[in-house]
Amino acid sequence: MDFPKRSKIKPLKTPDEESIDRFAPHNCMFYIVPPQNDVSLKDFEELAIERLKLLRILEQAGLKYPKILSDEWKEHIINELNLEGLKYFVRLIKGNGNTDQDKQSRRRDYLSHFILRFAYCRSEELRRWFMAREMELFRFKFSALSSSEIKDFIEIYEMGYRPINDEQKNEIRQELQNMVTGSVDNVDFYKVNFLSVLDLVRQRKCFLKGGYAYVSSMDFSSIIGGHHQKFIEKGLMSHLKLLPEFENDERIVGIIKGLHTSYVGKDYTVNKEADIPIESLNQLSLKSYPLCMRMCHDSLRTTHHLKHGGRIQYGLFLKGIGVTLEDSLRFWREEFTKNIEPDKFDKTYAYGIRYNYGKEGSRTNWSPYSCMKVINTAPNPQDIHGCPFKLWDTIELRSKLTTYGLNAMAVQDVVSYASKGHFQLACGRYFEAVHETKLDEGITHPNAYFEYSQIIMGNRLAKEKSTPTSQQSNFNNRKQVQMNKQQEFKRKMDARIKEEHDFDEELWKLSQHEEELLTQWKARQDATQTEISQIASMDWNDDNENVEDMSQIANYL
Amino acid sequence: MPEALNGEEYDATQLPDYLRLYYKRLFPHKQFYRWLSYNLSEDGIFTHREFSFTMQDDIYIRYLSFENQSEMEKEICAKIPHKIDIGAVFNIRPKNHRSNPNIKPMQRELVFDIDLTDYDNVRTCCNEANICNKCWKFMAVACKVIDIALRDDFGFEHILWVFSGRRGVHCWVCDKTARHLDTKGRGAIADYLQLSMSGGENSVSKVTLFDKQHHSIRRARSIIEPLFNEIIIDDQNAFGSATGTERLLKMVPDENCRKELQNLFSTTIADSKSIWSTFVGYFESMRVKSQLKPKLRHIIEEVQLAMLYPRLDINVSKGTNHLLKAPFCVHPKTGKICVPFNPNLATKFDPTTVPKVNLLLNEIDTFDQKNTDATETPEDKASRVKDFKKTSMFKSTVIFEEFIRKLEQSTKAQAITVSDKRMEF
Repeated sequence: MDFPKRSKIKPLKTPDEESIDRFAPHNCMFYIVPPQNDVSLKDFEELAIERLKLLRILEQAGLKYPKILSDEWKEHIINELNLEGLKYFVRLIKGNGNTDQDKQSRRRDYLSHFILRFAYCRSEELRRWFMAREMELFRFKFSALSSSEIKDFIEIYEMGYRPINDEQKNEIRQELQNMVTGSVDNVDFYKVNFLSVLDLVRQRKCFLKGGYAYVSSMDFSSIIGGHHQKFIEKGLMSHLKLLPEFENDERIVGIIKGLHTSYVGKDYTVNKEADIPIESLNQLSLKSYPLCMRMCHDSLRTTHHLKHGGRIQYGLFLKGIGVTLEDSLRFWREEFTKNIEPDKFDKTYAYGIRYNYGKEGSRTNWSPYSCMKVINTAPNPQDIHGCPFKLWDTIELRSKLTTYGLNAMAVQDVVSYASKGHFQLACGRYFEAVHETKLDEGITHPNAYFEYSQIIMGNRLAKEKSTPTSQQSNFNNRKQVQMNKQQEFKRKMDARIKEEHDFDEELWKLSQHEEELLTQWKARQDATQTEISQIASMDWNDDNENVEDMSQIANYL
Repeated sequence: MPEALNGEEYDATQLPDYLRLYYKRLFPHKQFYRWLSYNLSEDGIFTHREFSFTMQDDIYIRYLSFENQSEMEKEICAKIPHKIDIGAVFNIRPKNHRSNPNIKPMQRELVFDIDLTDYDNVRTCCNEANICNKCWKFMAVACKVIDIALRDDFGFEHILWVFSGRRGVHCWVCDKTARHLDTKGRGAIADYLQLSMSGGENSVSKVTLFDKQHHSIRRARSIIEPLFNEIIIDDQNAFGSATGTERLLKMVPDENCRKELQNLFSTTIADSKSIWSTFVGYFESMRVKSQLKPKLRHIIEEVQLAMLYPRLDINVSKGTNHLLKAPFCVHPKTGKICVPFNPNLATKFDPTTVPKVNLLLNEIDTFDQKNTDATETPEDKASRVKDFKKTSMFKSTVIFEEFIRKLEQSTKAQAITVSDKRMEF
């Protein structure tokens, strides 16, 4: 869904905005009392998606800079928020304020949190993800507060923490002095049970005596964070109880149900940049496929069949990387008909493939699965699809990666991330090992994986550069791709002219999108220029042999 | 040789015979039960506890649980385990774990495991499984540092220190708060007590200190620094060899200083005392000339901590479900009893004279022979002299009983409320 970028914070269309302010009294807030206001459906959806974007940005930042609250982490988030036009969140993570702008921002923050609770209370996994992101947001907000703002905060929420008095302070002055820079007199200290500040205990960041921790107001976020977490935890559970009632309203269910697995990044539904001939899929699968897709491909090639879930996951992926419907049909037919009659294929399976391309049934042009979707699918034991980093046990994963020619260190790296539940990080490591390079972005979409790979290998950008001489073995292949691409684009356009009555708008959108992408490519091109020139000089055949060699060696190990 | 003093060698092949007698006559079943039943202050606190027996050839029997003391005693005497481990208290009887997949640990003592093998790169007197009185000093320091932190900082009171039978110590923190800690809480305490030493296996341990030092670090320094000369310089002669001085140099995070020191060392007599005083003198003179780089400001203290600060096996402490060998087990390899000791007198504890199972059994025999009159007529168990009182295990049993007495005082109040609750209809 496209939303125009805004520089101003848009007011909400609710009749009694002011009443929200009671429940959102501070830029850094607890979400305690759920909203009692009317919210228009449009606002509802918009708020949901905006907060989802925010949480995704936090997730990405965490993947890139694992040290939460580090400067790079903060900078990354602020940049991304500005890019996404979510300026009001930026305002909220810069301390407290009471201007109209602040109030507007707080209202959106407050409402959007409660909206997303409905989407994220369903399962343990979703709740944990949501909690983790919300806590990161809260810590970010709280870290920006000054000592007096913290005091305000504690007063507003009547938390009853009172700083220790001077007498108590003097008794342990020496010890406290070691906790802070500057004089102890200028800092408030709070005495709490050590169990409520485990993070500080772990880092020896508080003075401990007899089971009590003395915490400076700077380090107080640990305690407050604990409360915040409890509020959200409880809140999610009570939202869960409300859910059945809520689900009577189809309009709302439609918005929230698939929210988590919905994908707010780049749209891969229609691929206009590339055209991939199916003959090259085998080769592509070796390097440019993420493991989840490679499994589907390998399994399809060896068993000449793929179960329903796998057909959708892999079929949509193929669409995303630029395999046309015609090619797709040919590809699946060739493979399936090694086991079954062509007639049966046409009757049973061709429908599903056309369906993926939006040519059957509801005629929706389905988006390829994002990582979230792949990770959250629950395949049956015989199924091939789903996220291998999540589904496979360590031994299986280890042996598979080894046969794919990863060295022992890389295998260990990937496996250890996977076993800790960082499936996308594991995937990123796998990417780095396969491509022998560093990856700046996190993997959030199998098609993004493919795209990064193609860029690194010089395939995608090389097209504009058109330097096929250096990659002779691939030359014919690529030439064909280029030709195909031009023809295909023209053909698609022609088809559209015939088919679509609102063609003009389509085309305009399309060309605009194309332009946007072009500028993106340009930017990336600069960044990867050096890499490309290095890789471009590599001999392609050799490369493939290496992969094979390695896997053979691995077999002997 | 302390082994020779004790007269008779321990023969591991006779372990099953020793154990049969040991469990029957010496193992303090009653005290053991008094400890783990905690006055029955919480529901299922004893019955839901997991025990694990290690049988011959390292066969483990996990998820055992007992209804009461007599069942436990009967099982131990019947199965004669080579080793008994204590696990967590679960939400259901552990022995029913197969029929209930939702088994989860409810509470568990906070435990620490310190092993001398982790000190192998600083101790020169022994290595691996061996232990002498010199290496025990590392354990004594560790014990002191950890014990005081647990008591003063966290306010824990019921702490049992146990010699692990060969070359390490176990620490059981039995306060209610400690028993109910979740994994995160245990991890936090373990990390608090652990000083991160950069450098992995075979490399040099390095501690980094800053100007502002946490009070627990300063306290640890006040324990360690007075002992450094005795342990590291005199006993271990740690810098008396080429590898020793090399290791010391590697702890200096500055290329130039390292080179200068190396030159100085080559003209110094190669004994630990001279090397160390050269080392200290070098940095002292730098300090006086105020040429000392900020990162080298605490180098002396850093070296001292790196060599003597307790090295915990923190994974043991972090889990709620980790099995740990019970006190009063017999170490199968050494025959030594895992005896509790007093942490305040840890330096006086002598691991080489810890009673061995075979000698204990001899002691009983000798005692009984001396008092033949008493054994001639079979009397009530109660009136007989308790067997452990006839042996050198007596002292450690007293320490254990003292620990239990204090523990029972603290759980009494709670035990009353629990029994009140049971009366309600």
